[in-house]
Amino acid sequence: MPKKILIIEDEELLCNLLKRKLNEEGYQTSVAKDGVEGMKMIKEIKPDLILLDIVMPNKNGFEVMDEMQTDEKLKHIPIIVISNSGQPVEIDKAKELGAKDWLIKTEFDPQEVIEKVKKQIG
Amino acid sequence: MKKNSIKKIKEVGTLEELDRIAKMLVRRDFELSEIREKRDAELKELEKRNKEITGSRIALMNILEDVEKAKEKSEEERDKTLAIFDNFPEGLLFLDKENRISSANPDIKDLFGLDPEKIIGKRIDELGKSSLAPFIDILKESPKGIYRKELKLKENLILEISAIPVMKVEEKIGTLIILRDVTREKIIERLKTEFVSIVAHQLRTPLSAVKWTLKMILDGDLGEVSKEQREFLNKTYISNERMIRLINDLLNITRIEEGRFLYNVQKQSIIEVAERVIASSREEAQRRGIRFEFKKPRKKIPEVKIDSEKISLVFQNLLDNAIHYTKTGGHVKVSIDYLKDEEKIIISVKDTGIGILKDQQKRVFSRFFRGANAIKTETEGTGLGLFIAKNIVEAHNGKIWFESRKNKGSTFHFSLPTS
Repeated sequence: MPKKILIIEDEELLCNLLKRKLNEEGYQTSVAKDGVEGMKMIKEIKPDLILLDIVMPNKNGFEVMDEMQTDEKLKHIPIIVISNSGQPVEIDKAKELGAKDWLIKTEFDPQEVIEKVKKQIG
Repeated sequence: MKKNSIKKIKEVGTLEELDRIAKMLVRRDFELSEIREKRDAELKELEKRNKEITGSRIALMNILEDVEKAKEKSEEERDKTLAIFDNFPEGLLFLDKENRISSANPDIKDLFGLDPEKIIGKRIDELGKSSLAPFIDILKESPKGIYRKELKLKENLILEISAIPVMKVEEKIGTLIILRDVTREKIIERLKTEFVSIVAHQLRTPLSAVKWTLKMILDGDLGEVSKEQREFLNKTYISNERMIRLINDLLNITRIEEGRFLYNVQKQSIIEVAERVIASSREEAQRRGIRFEFKKPRKKIPEVKIDSEKISLVFQNLLDNAIHYTKTGGHVKVSIDYLKDEEKIIISVKDTGIGILKDQQKRVFSRFFRGANAIKTETEGTGLGLFIAKNIVEAHNGKIWFESRKNKGSTFHFSLPTS
């Protein structure tokens, strides 16, 4: 049974690139285009890992993490944040909310994202 | 009668008596002339005194006239000073030696809602919980030179306070306090910073999309790439990376301006921080055919309290400059020294590069500065690296400086306190 990964990211191009790369690696990948849709899909598919953007319409990444924290069934799903920004204050806040890692998009490329994913769920 | 006289003389009987009388008469005469002479002298003296008094009177009149003039002039000066004081477009307070308010101009009322008339003569700490209370702290520090501080009184009122000691010869006679409303300037500054920050963030999104796409094509994830295509794509990738760096620099600057630059300050080994950055710089130097050397201190050195991410950025900027502006065959050397007596660590990055022109050396640490010879050698570069480095070093209470000679090379040093 392949591991399930949910990408919550509003930038379509980045989503497609990541999805393609992750599928090639044998993961089963789903995509949500904002926080609201993301929350719905987390509950539906119960992914093994979430790649989460921060700045998104409707519901941002921090709000998604906040909501997951209040749900016993969801709070243990590992999250890797993929964000445009990377200020220490934000990173610390995300780690407090259970994020395993924080990647700044401009400093990483898809291959490195895959490596981070593998480190979390193999 | 004559007979009587002779008879009398005869009766007296002596000539001596006659002689005695004659002598007495002569003496009287002499005494009288002496008195007369003395009187004449006194009269002369009196006349002289009289002349002197007349002279003094004239002099006195002249002096009085001068005093009158001086008084007029000083009144004029006083009125002028008062007019300047009252019409000065910033709040002014003059405090005497005991920090009692001796003058306050009308602007004080606008800034604090305090009636200047009512606060005169009072000590600042006597005003209790008035809006002037924050000054007490400033005055406690008893500024010797000019002292400046920004003070946020209300949401919509930010003041810049300058306290200037007023000296008469060597003695301090009071303190002049100038209050300037900088609210508007601060708002503009904040808007500018926010604008740059938003723009930079927005620019990062498409740049990461470009980066990821190019990387996947180059990695062959999207099918085979010809040699020629790869060459072009590689160049595009490098340009994109350059753009990302520029935006990162701009973001760093907005953070410096917002004053939230140092974040994670911890005691750690400067050598370890240096080694992490040096690893990638060493490769870059090798690619460019530059000899790279890292001289570590021989003895163990104390740890320093630093934000390692920011100090890495200082290393990175200094090393990037050294490598970029040194020709193939050149030499870049990094050294770390510990000055125990001065309680500081000095880090130096020396190159044998193009150097900095003498007449431009003053501007090296200013924003967007790029050396005229540097622009010719390398088109890339924002002129922000050294500005950022200086701000980081100074935020750590350190100093940054350099020596440089055209076509001989530059050495940049920065110090970090160990205490």
